[in-house]
Formats: sequence, structure tokens, C-alpha cells
Amino acid sequence: MSIRVNPRFINDLVLFGAEDVQLCYHCGDCSTVCPHADEVYKFPRKSMRQLQMGLERKIETTLEPWLCYYCGQCSEQCPREAAPGETMMSLRRWLISRYDFTGIAKQFFKSGMTEIITIIGFALLTAVFLFYYGYSMGNIHIYDGKGAFLSSPFIHKFDLTLGSLLLIFLAINAFRMWYFTMIKGTKVPVPWWLYVKELYLLPWHFFTQKRYSECESKRNPKIFMPWIIHLGLMLGYVIMLILVMVFIERLQSGPAIQWQVHIFGYLATIGLVTGTIYIIRNRLNKTYEQYKKSHSTDWVFIVLLFFIVLTGIAQHIFHRTGLYELANITYIVHLMCVVPWLLRMPFSKWAHLVYRPLAMYFAAIRRDAITRREISLKSNSVSIK
Amino acid sequence: MRTGVFFCQVENGKNLNIDAIAKYTANLPGVEFVQILGTAPRIEVNVLTDLIKMKSLERVVIAGDMPGYFKPVFTKAMALAGGNTDEIQLASFKERGASGEYAQDRAKAVIACASMAVPFSLVAVPAGNPVNHSTLIIGAGIAGIQAALEIANAGKQVYLVEQTGTIGGHMAMFDKTFPTLDCAACILTPKMVSVGQHEMIHLLTNSNVTEVTGKPGSYRAKIHQRARRIDVKSCVSCALCVDVCPVKVESEFDAKISLRKAVYIPFPQAVPNAFLVDEKNCTYVLSGGKKCGVCVNKCPKECINLDETDKIIDIEVGNIVLATGYELLDVGKIEQYGYGVYPDVLTSLEFERLTNASGFTGGKIVTKTKRFNKRTQQEEWFFSPDGVPPRNVAIIHCVGSRNKKYNAYCSRVCCMYSLKFAHLIKEKIPNVNCYEFYIDMRAFGKGYEEFAERIKQGGTFVIRGHSAFVTMNNGQMVVRGEDIINDKMVEFKVDMVILAVGLIPASGNEELSRMLGITRDSDGWFSELDYNGSPTDTEKGCIYVAGMCQGPKDIPDTVAQAAAVAAGVLRTITSGKGVGHLSSVTLNEIEARAKNIHTISGGHYVNQS
Repeated sequence: MSIRVNPRFINDLVLFGAEDVQLCYHCGDCSTVCPHADEVYKFPRKSMRQLQMGLERKIETTLEPWLCYYCGQCSEQCPREAAPGETMMSLRRWLISRYDFTGIAKQFFKSGMTEIITIIGFALLTAVFLFYYGYSMGNIHIYDGKGAFLSSPFIHKFDLTLGSLLLIFLAINAFRMWYFTMIKGTKVPVPWWLYVKELYLLPWHFFTQKRYSECESKRNPKIFMPWIIHLGLMLGYVIMLILVMVFIERLQSGPAIQWQVHIFGYLATIGLVTGTIYIIRNRLNKTYEQYKKSHSTDWVFIVLLFFIVLTGIAQHIFHRTGLYELANITYIVHLMCVVPWLLRMPFSKWAHLVYRPLAMYFAAIRRDAITRREISLKSNSVSIK
Repeated sequence: MRTGVFFCQVENGKNLNIDAIAKYTANLPGVEFVQILGTAPRIEVNVLTDLIKMKSLERVVIAGDMPGYFKPVFTKAMALAGGNTDEIQLASFKERGASGEYAQDRAKAVIACASMAVPFSLVAVPAGNPVNHSTLIIGAGIAGIQAALEIANAGKQVYLVEQTGTIGGHMAMFDKTFPTLDCAACILTPKMVSVGQHEMIHLLTNSNVTEVTGKPGSYRAKIHQRARRIDVKSCVSCALCVDVCPVKVESEFDAKISLRKAVYIPFPQAVPNAFLVDEKNCTYVLSGGKKCGVCVNKCPKECINLDETDKIIDIEVGNIVLATGYELLDVGKIEQYGYGVYPDVLTSLEFERLTNASGFTGGKIVTKTKRFNKRTQQEEWFFSPDGVPPRNVAIIHCVGSRNKKYNAYCSRVCCMYSLKFAHLIKEKIPNVNCYEFYIDMRAFGKGYEEFAERIKQGGTFVIRGHSAFVTMNNGQMVVRGEDIINDKMVEFKVDMVILAVGLIPASGNEELSRMLGITRDSDGWFSELDYNGSPTDTEKGCIYVAGMCQGPKDIPDTVAQAAAVAAGVLRTITSGKGVGHLSSVTLNEIEARAKNIHTISGGHYVNQS
């Protein structure tokens, strides 16, 4: 079977962050230290090789980039300083842009300026709309009816519309991912029941990120902080997302907020605040391998999230203490961050929230299919005379 | 003749001030036009043609680090302008050695010669100093020995300085040589004996060069000879003193895997064949003569004098040969291989001593045995001749070599000696599994590729893929790697791991380079004058480099280079012309000579031959 080679692929990938792939001389140290590399999924060296050969069509069908959590041990070991860890990260960025059928993700990854300008544009649009519609007419402490700043049923509807729009985008992208990896990429027949058998992996990996903790299985001393922080950030984010998307009316139901909402909200906030601060600090300090190189999208992601959390907290405090005027303004700033954030979700780093568990799921199915195939080949061996 | 000078640099010449050179050039006779085209210029032929026409240039000088690169463009422009294309002169800074201290003047001189169309080599002839007929060789490994023998056999005096107690260097430690599997000692020891007995070789062991003054052809060297405390002439190596000596230290000659006494002989075939006292560990010396001293009474020949003092020897020599060799990289800092943590992880040199037939295990390859040390109250691992031979051995190539964190360069000999190890292990232990982890197999020499093929056919598992680390699992060492050719992850349980450790320059090189005024490259090896043209000469006249101290190389190359050095030394001694170095010629002299030749030949130098 032939495969098309893109000799400029390695140059294209520079914009996604992989700069030193060409240095690799294939000693295999990275694959050896990687706690996740095994018989079926051998990486990062193999991905480096595919990159050097320009096998763009092959890489889009691989799941290996998603199996890497970037613990950085390969980059620490690399004798050529070819940064295999960063290359896997860049491949993830490239894959996000490849799964995205609109091409917006590609533009965002290639040019940080485009992304920032787009975000500022949408933030300003939101601001104009909110000033015109909300601030000039009402106040934040009035929740419904006349004089309400933005009524909760309105926001709820708005949320759901936006959410379903995003879900459509994400679903299409996830479908493309499935098509690339499982139809084009898996050369062995995959029976349908394997999809059912491994289905438990989706919630398992989504909520525990167990694989991330396994990154440390070979390191001494073990550094579990990135995993815990990442898990806290992700869980906090998901809880907050559910609260905002589904329970926004309870969040805004007047001065007496339900205790359940309160508790979940505060828990989520702890996760979000520690997570964003930890990551921003590490990206500035550059002590750990995985935080040494930061792509523009990494910065946009974490800084925007940090602003959202900060303004959210400020708004909450002002609101509770009765500084309604200030609360109004912070609320507007908060929404100025939230709206672009939500809009760019399927086209950004955020999408790995969906792709990574999916990749684990697909990887397990592919592994099962390959083992099944090998067993059947062994039992029905063809003898050649 | 109307001359135009163009400066075209390929690289950014940091050591040269091009503006100053251009100013100097403008005042040269016949130079009408000077232009600096900068670094890596894109030259348009028609622009250049117009320029040559406008200034009516008859001769063009291209000056730069690699002017030949731009010659085609200038030839075309000259032809289009209707000029004589033979009048394009190249003034090459790099080729003429415009670097270092005299770079600026040398570059000026090169341009001056080119602008007058006089060959640089014709005028830049250094004046000759008379050459002292004796030679100083620093380092008595195989390179130093070979050079010493070649020079001494030609009837010239040699001072051979060695910092340890015996000559022979690293080669004396080896068991076999690749690819012929000859016994290293069989080649080396006859040479060592010849050195010891040669009337023209003055052997100075236990000595260091501390000061060198003078100029090419007549150097004065101060040599600090540490007291041996045993009279070389009367010692008969009966080893009675060893029996009574109470001090035990790690043997340097056995790569620190065995113990020796404070009075010792490095190995039985040592030259000079006499014992010596380790002043750093001898109780008598350390206590200032108050304790111990039992060996003195034991000696039947009464040759031990523990109160002997160091000597300073002043010598005058004409030539100096550097043959200081190499050391192994400190592999303890590459933590993932567990050297120093797991007992059976060895460096290449340690294994070489272990497998050596004259080594302390008698050539038996064994794993370490545990014993209880009563003095330190701790358990320790050591090699015992009755140890258990390993069943599985992993050899890991490129440890610290070709690695940007340690040595960026290839140590050149590791692939071959690792293959040799595999062969020795297979030969000595029946049913052993041997795994070689390599990145690229560099079998570059005569018969090397065939040797590598032979080892692969011989049942050694040669795995293309570097193992990144060694782990211990319930007392069993495990080596993991990626078998790239077979597309597999592999994991082997092994009893012994041999690390093919990268080579680094000997630690005294820095001091020597400062003392002698010669340069070292970024990795610390001594720089030769020209890698291709004169690989044995250094920037300074009458100082030569031989063997590993110039860069990693195998034994045949080392011997060849040492012999070449001897030829160079003898050339200076026997030519009768004396020697000088280009740095002894000033810019004005070169300029004056060039002008002289220029006028004699009527404006253009014609090669007389």
C-alpha cells in the first residue's frame, strides 16, 4: 500500500511547536524511558520517525500522541536535545487542528495573533451587547422581570444554545477522529462488541486520569503534583461547566443560593484557582521539562481561564457584600472572557478534554483487535511447503 | 596594475576587524578600489561587471575566509568586463591560518601578497632557529613509546616523561586488540622493554612537566620527578616489601577494581621493572617518618629509602611531543545506568581489566561477590576469582558519547571494543547470552566491518536501539530497550552490564596547553594545525601531538600518528635549516619581501618551474 509523503510537514509543524525533530538520530532512549510505551504503542521515537519521513497521512491515523501525558522524562534523557516530549505535544495540537473540519483551529494554532484578535473582538462585541442590553437597563441584584440586569432564564437559554452549538462541532470533530483512527488507521477487523467491552474506559479515564499518574511509575522521586493539579483543574472545570450550563437558574436564584450549589461551586473554585496559578507559575519559572516551552495557545488557554476564575470570584464577592455597581462591572468583564472562551472550545487545546478519553478508548479497542488477530493467526497457521 | 579588493566573508569572522584590514588594503600599491561585501553576500554579476568596467580594474582580489566560493561569480564578471580572468587572486584567511593571536596581521599580509600576485607561501618563510637535537615526549603510552623509539632509533636523544610509575599507558591494561584479537601485551611489552633498555631514551617516570620556556628549536623544560623511594637500579622486584606493607588501596592500573599495597608495582611487566612507594598512602610518608617503615628492613637489597626527596630536572630540548592520552568520562554522573549503585555495572576499562589474562581473576569473567568489611562494618561487593560467571551480559554503547549533555562527539573506539567484549565473553563463558545495544555501528577501519559481521553471526544479540537505563528488580538487573529494526520493545534480565563509556581528554591537558601556549578545541582535545594537511603539528613550531590527546582514535591510528610525529621531529633536526614559526615573521617583512619579488618579476610573479 502506498502512502503520500509531505516533505514539508516537518516545517509546517514548527508553528505547532515542534522545532527540533530533525535532530533525532533514533537511539530509542525516549521510548525506553517512556512509562507508557509498550508492544503495540511504541512512542515517541516512532512518531519522530514518521515526522522526519513526512508521513502526514499516517500520523493523522495514529493514537500515540494522545497516549502521552508529557511527563518530560524523554526530553530530559534525549541525547540530541530533540525534545520528543514537546514533539508529541505539537502533534496533539496538530491533531486537534486536523480533526477540526472548519479549519479555525489550524488558524488559531498557526498564529497566536489571530487567536488573540478574535478573542478581543468577541469580548468587545459581548461588552457592547451587555452595556446596551443589560447595564443601561437594570441591576444585577434584580433577578427577574423589569430592571433585571440579565435575567437567569435568558442566560440559561443563551447557555443552552451556545452549548448545543459547541456540542455539534465537537461531535463532528470526534466523529472525524473516530474515522481517521479506527477506520483508516486500524488495519485489522474490529468487531462491534469491542466498542461495548471497552466502553467503561471512557468515564474511567475522564474522571481519574489514571494514566497520567502512571507517568511517574518509573521516575524516582515521583512527582505526582502535575497529575493532581491537572485532575483538580479538570474536575473543577467540569463541575463549574455543569453548574453554569444546567443550574444557572439556581446560581442566580436570588440572595438565597442552595447549599448544594454553594458547596460544589466552592470546591470547583479551589480546583480552578490552584490549577491555574500552579500552571502559570510553572510556565513562567520553566523548571519542569513539560513547562519549558509554551505555545501561544497554551498561554491563551491558561491566562483566559485564570481571568475567568478571578472575575468570577470577584463578582461573587462583590455580589455577596452588596457592592452592586462593582459587581455589575466585574460580571460584564467575566462574561467578556467567558463568551470567547466558550466559542473557541472545540477549536482549541480545550478539546483534549474530549479527545483524550476517546483516544484511550480507541487505543484499547485497537489493541484488543490486534491481539485477537494475532491469536487467530497463530491458531490457523498456514504451512508453506 | 589597477587592483580591486573585495571582502566576502562566508561566516561572521569574529576575530578579524575587517574595517581595519580594508583601510590597510586601500594604502597598498596598485589598489584602486576596496569594497566590503559583508557576510554571505549575494553578488549580482552585471553589477560587478559594471563596477570592474567603471573602475577599469585589471586585477581582482577576493578576500575572505573562503574566497574560492565566490570565484565563479568574479570570473564571470571579469570575463564579461573584458578583463583577464587569470588576474583573479584569492586571499584566503582561513587557509593561511589567520586565526588566533596574529590573525589581524596575517590577514593583512595575505591580502598584500594577493594584491601583488605573489604566492603567500613564497614570502612568508620563517627565519630558522638552530634546533636542539634532543626531544621531550610527554606521556609514555603507546603513542609516546612509538614516537620515542622511532626518534631514538634514528640516533637522537629522547626524554620520555611519564606521570605514573610505569610506561605503557592504557594499552598495557587491555587484553586483546580489535579487530585481529591479538594480545595487546604481546605488541606492547617488547616495545616497552626496548624503551627501557634504549641508550638514547632517558626515561623519567613518576614525573610531571612543570614549566616550559623558550622558542621553537630550543625549549627549556623543568621536570618535577616525584621520589620513587626505591632505587630502580638495585630493585629486583622480589615483592618481599609488599608482603609486609599494611596499607591497602585501590589499584589504578586495575581500574580500581582490585586492591594493591602502598608499595607496589603496577603490573609484573612494568618498565622500569621496579617497585615504587605511593606517597599519598604510605603510613611512613604520611606520618613524617614516625610510624611504620617495616618494608625498609625487609628489603634484601636495601634499596628502599623512604626519605628520598623529589627532584627538579632541567633539560634543554628542540622538540616537544604531546602524547598525554585520555581518561574515561565520570559515568557516575549519568545516573540512569546505576553505575556505583548496582554492583555489576562496569565501565569498559574495568571489564578490560577483569577479562585480562594477567588480571587478578586470571582472566575469569565473574560477577561481584558480597563480603563483610570488618573495618567499615559494612557489606561490600568485590570481584573474587571464585565468583559466579554471568549468564546474561548487556553491553551498552554510546554512554556519554554523542550526547549533547556530556560529550557531543563520537569516541570512535567504543563500537569496536564493545564487539570485542562480546567476543571475549562468548569465548570464555559457555552458553552466555550477550546483548549489544547500539545506536549506529561505527566499524570504520580496515577489517572492522568484517569483525562486526563476524560477531553478529557468532550469536551475539546486536540490537539497534540504545538502552536508556538499568533497573534492579528483586536483585535482578533489567535492561530495557527498543529494538528498532524488529519494531519491538525488549527487556532482558542480565547479571552484568558493561557501559561503553565516552572518552575525555586527560585532566592535565589544560595546564599543559597553558604552559606551552597551544590551543585546545571546545571539547578539550589539543588542536592540530590543520586537520587534513598537518594533523600532527600544532600552532606553535616544534610542538607536536600524537595519539588520543588530539582526539579519540584507535591503536593503529595512534601508532601511525606517533610515527608521523617522529618524522616531523627528525625533519627539523636533520634538515640543518633550523626551524621557525610563521608568527616570527612580521607583517612589514612579508610586505617588503612581496614588494621585492613583485619588482623583480616585473609586476607579475612567474613560477620558475
